Amino acid sequence: MSDLDPAESALIALGLPLIASIVAALLGTAKLGKYAHWPVIVAFAAAAAVAAGAMLKLSGMTGESISASSASLTWFQAGSLSVTYSIALDPLSAIMLLTVTFVGTFIAIFSASYMHGDEGFARYFSIMALFVFAMLLLVTADNFLVLVAGWEGVGLCSYLLVGYYHAKPAAAAAARKAFLVTRLGDVGMILGIFLLWQLGGYRTDFNGMFEHIATHPDTHGQLTLACLLLFCGAVGKSAQMPLYVWLPDAMEGPTPVSALIHAATMVTAGVYLLARCAPLFVLAPDVQLIVSVIGGSTAFLAAFLAMAQNDLKRVLAYSTVSQLGFMFMALGTGGLIAPSLAVTAAVFHLFTHAFFKALLFLGSGSVMHAMGNVIDMRKFGGLRKVMPTTHLTFLAGSAALAGVPLLSGFWSKDQILDSILEAAASGGTYAGGYLIVLMVAMGTAGLTAFYTFRAYFLTFWGTERVPEEAHGHAHESPAMMTIPLIVLAVGAVAIGFAVEPLTHAFSDFLGRTPALVMANEIAKAPGGGHFDAHEHPHFNWAVAGISSAVALLGVFLAFRVYGNGGPEQVPDGLHGVYTLSRNKLYVDEIYYAAIVKPAELLATAGRQIDQFFAVLVRLVGSVPEFIGAAVRPMQNGLVQFYGLGMVLGLGVVLAVVILRSTR
Amino acid sequence: MISLPHFLIVGAVLFGLGLVGFLTRRNLITMFLCAEMMLQGVVLNFLAFGKYHGHLGGQIAALFIITVAACEAGLALAMFLAIYRRTKSLDSGVWQELREDRIPATVDTDPLPTFLEDPDPVLTPAGARPIRAEEEVRV
Amino acid sequence: MIPPFASLEIDPIAAGQIVAAVVMGTLGLYFLLPRPRGRSIALGTFLSLGTAGMIAGFLITTFGQPFPNLVENALFWLFAAGAVGFGRVLVMQSNPARGAISFAFVILSSCGLFLMLAAPFLMAATIIIYMGAIVVTFLFVLMLSQAKGASDENDRSREPLLGSLAGFAFMGLILFTLYVTGPRVETRADAAIVEPLLPATGIRTADKLLLVAAANDLDLALDPDAKPDEMLMQAKQARTRLLRVVGSAGEPLDANPGRTIQDRLRNSETDVRIASIVAQADKVRVLKKTSLDRLETALLDREPKLDEAREQLKRLRGEVLILAGRGELPAKNVKAIGYALYSEHLIAVELAGTLLLVATIGAVAIAQKKGSVA
Repeated sequence: MSDLDPAESALIALGLPLIASIVAALLGTAKLGKYAHWPVIVAFAAAAAVAAGAMLKLSGMTGESISASSASLTWFQAGSLSVTYSIALDPLSAIMLLTVTFVGTFIAIFSASYMHGDEGFARYFSIMALFVFAMLLLVTADNFLVLVAGWEGVGLCSYLLVGYYHAKPAAAAAARKAFLVTRLGDVGMILGIFLLWQLGGYRTDFNGMFEHIATHPDTHGQLTLACLLLFCGAVGKSAQMPLYVWLPDAMEGPTPVSALIHAATMVTAGVYLLARCAPLFVLAPDVQLIVSVIGGSTAFLAAFLAMAQNDLKRVLAYSTVSQLGFMFMALGTGGLIAPSLAVTAAVFHLFTHAFFKALLFLGSGSVMHAMGNVIDMRKFGGLRKVMPTTHLTFLAGSAALAGVPLLSGFWSKDQILDSILEAAASGGTYAGGYLIVLMVAMGTAGLTAFYTFRAYFLTFWGTERVPEEAHGHAHESPAMMTIPLIVLAVGAVAIGFAVEPLTHAFSDFLGRTPALVMANEIAKAPGGGHFDAHEHPHFNWAVAGISSAVALLGVFLAFRVYGNGGPEQVPDGLHGVYTLSRNKLYVDEIYYAAIVKPAELLATAGRQIDQFFAVLVRLVGSVPEFIGAAVRPMQNGLVQFYGLGMVLGLGVVLAVVILRSTR
Repeated sequence: MISLPHFLIVGAVLFGLGLVGFLTRRNLITMFLCAEMMLQGVVLNFLAFGKYHGHLGGQIAALFIITVAACEAGLALAMFLAIYRRTKSLDSGVWQELREDRIPATVDTDPLPTFLEDPDPVLTPAGARPIRAEEEVRV
Repeated sequence: MIPPFASLEIDPIAAGQIVAAVVMGTLGLYFLLPRPRGRSIALGTFLSLGTAGMIAGFLITTFGQPFPNLVENALFWLFAAGAVGFGRVLVMQSNPARGAISFAFVILSSCGLFLMLAAPFLMAATIIIYMGAIVVTFLFVLMLSQAKGASDENDRSREPLLGSLAGFAFMGLILFTLYVTGPRVETRADAAIVEPLLPATGIRTADKLLLVAAANDLDLALDPDAKPDEMLMQAKQARTRLLRVVGSAGEPLDANPGRTIQDRLRNSETDVRIASIVAQADKVRVLKKTSLDRLETALLDREPKLDEAREQLKRLRGEVLILAGRGELPAKNVKAIGYALYSEHLIAVELAGTLLLVATIGAVAIAQKKGSVA
């Protein structure tokens, strides 16, 4: 295994889930569906092992920028466009690869027990494996078109999995909504890719394109537009404003699906895209500001909406949106601080967020499983005695999410806040804007702690209440469900501390990505000159202190209000705010009235026009029928009538002949 | 021959009359007689041209025409007999089967005139004095 | 598309006659055709007579009288009126038996016209076959399938107006064509004077008599009982006669003035009829020379072998007759018809015979009742 080139390992890691998907599907059709989880779990675990090996090999390689690419097959050629299937493994891809496969393995193990006995068991695992394949394709793609292939693949699998309970109308509608809303973003992304193809000297592979653009300054005017369009795609897929509305509705899918797709992997594709294209974004400071602003506003808005939700999974969904906003805030600081630092902050938070968010979702799944598929927090409470393991792991995840000091969430969130502060203090263009973003980020951190622990207290504290759907015997989940919880809890607590603060292993490794190295070289620092490529992220004690204080304040407030669990009491005076938050600021209704309804009217109008044309076509078709009906009575079966017709016709012909020849 | 146009026109008139009769009359026999009349017009035509050119080609053609007319008459009459056996009528309007699907059959609507038939005369039996109505004498 | 009448000069009177004839004829027959309602025999007869008069007037004004002398004229008009009149009766008669009888009279009248066209054999044949055979057969069939009283087939017509129009439109077209292309009289004022606009076809009567006499001489020469010197004498006599008509072989045909054929040659060189006559005359000349030379050569022997000479003389006789026959139709009509039939139209005769045979078989087969023993 260690003899393998990293890129070839990546190919193996790609192929395993694909084969597992096919095998699971075949098992399903062969009536052996209940064994469908074996190939998938084995494939994921093997892929994780291969990914880990590849990462080790990669980190062992010397050089400032390290990458390994596979041999490329030609996909298609058309004129000056030549596209290849090629994948490349560099540190960014390797980290994503390992995250996806590792978390995916444990989620698969959890699913095997959670979905046990379900009718579409094989279908579930087949599509989950297909999803992991598409995601791995996305992160290891070496050119834009393979990336788009992976992008579309994850979109498709998300649709299929969110609509897993396809007979339920709400689930089908949610799947459709997810697909269509991300599609809006995808349109922008594809347009951006076209523009970049043209700007990048008609090349589609990343490195070639970035080099071409970097060395041709005359293209930088249109680069802003291209980056903005790419960001559109990221907004759609990563559920930022205004296209975040699909993520809360996507909770209709099974809970492990939410854990895998909407917490750890798919929604991070946008972050990955911006990280990959860092060399481009650093050349467009306007777009970077927009990225940060949108990230900041989304984070705050989502945190606000999460505060009054009753559905535990909805809270977690809004929490995901909010944390993604944090990642984008970090990415947007790229030009003002060293791009490698900005990207490192975002990707580190992505990495830790994968662990604790997946943990929280699986925990809620465990609760749902025990409560008989009830997830409304008003219907249960005080479960810490009933489900101790779930309780403790959920607590660990919540603490990590809130940013309690020394847990992984704390380190990554701190890096983000730090990079925003440095950007605000750098004195470059729009530096003042970043200051506002920093304040918004701090406020959001506090809100995050508050709503997270509100959910925790409402679920696990207070009087013990179990809904009737649990049939009286609520109990802890079986081992296959709790073991992944425990593993992920360990990750949520410890992994952040392990890789970054003292050793800087993570940022060193990530900083050797060719794209980031290139970005560092081409970006111009605000004070002139270039960024130091080997700079490490700083640890700012002031920022750390303020963010810890804010987080602990949020926890304390939550304890005060919800410490006894129980039915929620809204303090007077906050009723209006509470209702607004409960009803999601009516965003869905606004979208429906402003966009969906006019589109429906347009479609109806279009159909009327189509009807008109249909009538027209039928009218044209009825002309021969009409003529036929007019002419048919000539065939009345009477020979003399036919003879008369012939004679009259002959007379006409003769008349013409005679008149023309007797001239 | 300078009388050529005259004969040609007589032939044409015969042909035209025959054509009218063939197209309008419904009795099969009458139709056929009109067809024969058309042939007579054609024969006149041939003979006139034969005389005009001064050789016998016209007469020979005319001879063949009446030969073929004879064959035709024989066959036609045999067929008329067969048709009559089937439908007991010599009306050519009876045969309308080959019309289009959705066209109704052509039916004659004008009623035919009925002729009062004189009853057969009734004779008094032999040996009896015939009964005569009183004659009215008008002056 | 040039309008059709642009380059024609049509006398408006003639055009009016044609149009009037067509219209009156259509209406006349329309009123005459048997229908349950709307039939008016009186009106129809009146209109038909008007049509006939109009056509006759058109004929006379445009083409003059048909024959130079009164008797032939009268006969022509009589027969023509008879044919047309009885034809009209056939078309309008509702009783088919009466129709058959009027058809017989049509045949009779048109046979009179045949006679005027120098076809006596055909007249006789037509009367025998049509009136004697066909009409009688029709009457037999009528007898077998008679309808009582008024019936659909006898008292109704199919599309009377359009049918009459069709027939008279044809007739009008023929009138028009004849008007444009036929041999017209120059002006109406000359209608009484009959001028031969075309040269008489064929050869002069005197020449014809000579040719026929030559043919008779050759006949006598070919007699099987004739002695050789008699043969020679007759042949020489024929040669003398033929010399006077066609000249000698080898001479150019126009070398001798005064010959009718040469005269004609000077008159119109492109006339097809003249060309054929001239070709025939040339053939006669050549054959005359070769056959008579042959004969004389053969007779020089002690034991003359005369078969070949006989053959050639026979051929000469045939050609002479043909040359003679290219003028007026021969009075020996039957003989000439027979000769022409079996020489030029032999295959047609055989085919006609086959046709008759097949028609007989067919008629018998069709008319049989189903299931009866053949």
